[in-house]
Parts: sequence; C-alpha cells; structure tokens
Amino acid sequence: MSPDANENPDLVGPEDEALLEELRGAADRFDPPPAPVLEAARASLTWRTVDEELAALQFDSAVDQALTTVRGDEGPRLLTFAAPGLNIEVEVSPIGPRRQLVGQLVPAQPARIDVRHPGGVTTVQADQLGRFGVEAVSAGPVSLRCHLATEPPSPPVVTEWIPL
Amino acid sequence: MGASIDVRDLALAAAAGDPRGWDGLVERFGGLVWSTTRAYGLSPDDGADAAQTTWLRLAEQLGRLQDQYGQLGVWLAATARRESLRLLGAARAAEPLTQKEPSPPPSSGRDALLWRVVRELPEHCRRLLRVLLTTPPPSHEEVSAALDLPVDGIAAARAACFQEFRHRMATISIRTEVEDS
Repeated sequence: MSPDANENPDLVGPEDEALLEELRGAADRFDPPPAPVLEAARASLTWRTVDEELAALQFDSAVDQALTTVRGDEGPRLLTFAAPGLNIEVEVSPIGPRRQLVGQLVPAQPARIDVRHPGGVTTVQADQLGRFGVEAVSAGPVSLRCHLATEPPSPPVVTEWIPL
Repeated sequence: MGASIDVRDLALAAAAGDPRGWDGLVERFGGLVWSTTRAYGLSPDDGADAAQTTWLRLAEQLGRLQDQYGQLGVWLAATARRESLRLLGAARAAEPLTQKEPSPPPSSGRDALLWRVVRELPEHCRRLLRVLLTTPPPSHEEVSAALDLPVDGIAAARAACFQEFRHRMATISIRTEVEDS
C-alpha cells in the first residue's frame, strides 16, 4: 500500500489521464477549498488535546432520530457524550445564529466547564447537581472541557467536536 | 507537489505541537477534506463547518492515531465523510427542504463548460469525480474512504463516469454546431 500511488497506471489510459488533468484544473478554478476554510484548518492545531480524557459522542438526536421525528415537534437537539465514569448530556436550542446549551453531568457533580469554540472559550460552572448552562455560543463546532472536582485530581474530560 | 512529502513526518511533528507539521498536513489534505464535503452536496457554509470539524477532530485525535500516521489521508477522508453525513442529517431534521447547491459559476469558456457538465452528471458520478479531482490527487484508498466505496471498484467506476462525461460533451458539441450553422 503506497500513499503516493495516486493513480493506478494499469487502469488509466493516456486519454483518461489527460481528461482527469483537465477536469482537475476546472475543479481548482471553480471549487477550490476557500481560504477561510484552510485558515480555520491551520488554526485547529490550537485545540490539540494532550492528556485529556476523550468523551465520545454516543447519541445525537439530529442524526439518530432524524428519521423518526415528527416534523414541527422537534424540541431541542439532544447530545450525549460518554467517557469512562462520566456522561455529559447537552440540550441545544437555536437562537438565531447562536446556540443555547443546557447540560447535565452524570453522575451529578460540580465541575468547571470550558465551552470551546473556534471564536474562543466561555467558562461556566456546573452546580452540585451537575447542571450547567451557556446562554449563547456561535453556531459552528463546539467542544466542552470538564474539569472535575475529583480527589485525587483526574485529567479533564473533553467532548468530541461537533458542529451545532 | 504534496505527494512527495512524508505524511508520517508531518504527523509526528504536528502531534508534538509543531505548526509546520500541522500546516503541512493542511496543505496536503485540505483539498481532500473540502472536496469530500462538497461531494456530499453540502452548501459552502455547511461544508466549511464539516471541514473545520474534521480538522478539529484530527487535532483532538492525533495523539491516538500513531499507527495511522502513514494513512492520515484515509482517516481524514473518512472523518470528512462522517461529518458531512452528520450535517446533512442535522440540516434535514431542521429544515428538510433547504439543501441547495450554490449557483453555477458565471464564467464562460471551456473550463466552465467542463465543470457544468461534471456537476450535471448522475449523482454517483458527480460525487466520485468531485473527490477524484482533488488537488493534489488523492490515492484510491483515500477516495474509497471519502465515498465508502470498495477500493477495487474505483477504477471501473471512474471509467464508466468518464464515458458518460464524454457522451454528454459530444452531445453538447453537436448541439452547438447545429445552433452555429
């Protein structure tokens, strides 16, 4: 398996090869990756995780219930992230171009929660019952980093990025 | 061209926090991630979200992917595919009828004609070509991951789509000649 084997020469005639190159030129001209998309990609390294525990997305009502939901009766989007020993449940409600989040840590516990989005970080506190809320974050990818008040201290838990 | 760069070295550098390694990965695979989102017909805005989420996922996962550093393009293509399908699902749930393609390029000329014909191909061909036409050219493994197609079937599928493309181009040029005469 060679990562540089861009085309399989056995199966590509010279005419197809020429057409491929010509069409690739058209794609480059009419639908190249926009500069802001590449800029955002470069900036993503800032959000590299090093020693955090990752909470994987386990349920997303927008995807997992999309086929069964009766239109007009949708309510907030529900997300569940799971890490060993901790679930993070989030309700997402759109307010124009912004998103309101209401969350719950399971098992219930206090925590400091960084709401990370490409525009920056908003920090909120989960109360003794594990409840937290964020008034509004910009639409787009979001990840939560939860600093639990465990003893002994454990690494923060971060949720997978997901566009909201 | 990016294909000569050792992706593994870039990944190792990026995982250590070196922006040059990371930027090298974006240069090599930025086009692949973008064209994968476009292959699924996402609008430019949703495509931008899917692409950004894909790169954020790589930033969060890079330290866990050591055994895939030689095949990061495959991982990125598969992730871009998954994120595109997620956004399509979310968009359909919210507003079932608003999936829209941006209007075609206003330019004239041969390139514009070629591109219009590509865009009007049957869905499976449009999708396949959109990924195959990425710069720098993707490997068949990457195309396979982007479209969830068997690697072995890509060459044949491409040949069939090129045939359809040529047929349509021929039809257009005959029509044009008739109109011109």
